[in-house]
Amino acid sequence: MTNLEQLRSVFVESLGIDAAQVNDELRYNSIPQWDSTAHMILIAQLEQSFNLMLDTDDIIDMSSFAQAKAILAKYDVVFT
Amino acid sequence: MTKLKSQLSGYQVRLERVDSHDLEQLRTWRNDPAVAQFMLTQDSISKQQQQAWFQKIQRDPSQQHFVIWYKNEAIGAANIKAYYQGETLDAARAIEPGLYIADPRYRGNVLAFAPTLLLNDYCFDVLATQSLVAVVKASNQAALNYNFKLGYRIEKQAELVEIRLNAADYQQHTAALKALLNRPVRHNEK
Repeated sequence: MTNLEQLRSVFVESLGIDAAQVNDELRYNSIPQWDSTAHMILIAQLEQSFNLMLDTDDIIDMSSFAQAKAILAKYDVVFT
Repeated sequence: MTKLKSQLSGYQVRLERVDSHDLEQLRTWRNDPAVAQFMLTQDSISKQQQQAWFQKIQRDPSQQHFVIWYKNEAIGAANIKAYYQGETLDAARAIEPGLYIADPRYRGNVLAFAPTLLLNDYCFDVLATQSLVAVVKASNQAALNYNFKLGYRIEKQAELVEIRLNAADYQQHTAALKALLNRPVRHNEK
């Protein structure tokens, strides 16, 4: 599984949404499933799945799927 | 000695008591339709009204007003008011908090919880109030959902919904969120 597939999978599981809903335009609070509670679950699963610990600033900045990719890249997660 | 503080910091944000040099920024924000739509009144506020408001709040021990700062930028405003008439903030049985994020980059962002947590901690832990009360338009479902996440419960359901939060419910509902927004800042050198 590529890192991009793994990231999509974390979003699908954490937010309880269909894979088709996961795209770069997907944003925090843009769908009922991505609320503050789901955001905490998402962060926990991202950290577990990619074996890293995010800074609070990055947790705040992670407001979209596109942003999640950009932030994880700072932690040496490569998306091809 | 008063328990009131003029500056609060935590959860990556800082709240600073409104000063005279903040007034024009606050007025611009408050008159922005994107902010005003969630207020109980949408009337445009003049410079004179803003000045009169500032004179009033400086002498009023029942309320405090703050500017919210994140990464050294002012991003919104917050306030607390003693809920019952005649009470001062430092002895208030209930406090009504209010807040808006004016910077569009941070609206609808989990960051909005940071100043709320900071303000609520101040009300419960420093001012030792028994409960927080909020009055929200029934049509503002986003604000209601936001407050339910903090542990608020409905007291009165009408066109304006009155909701209330006690310290125990607040602690129970926000422990995970606080941990998330309260991590030590690391300086990533990559």
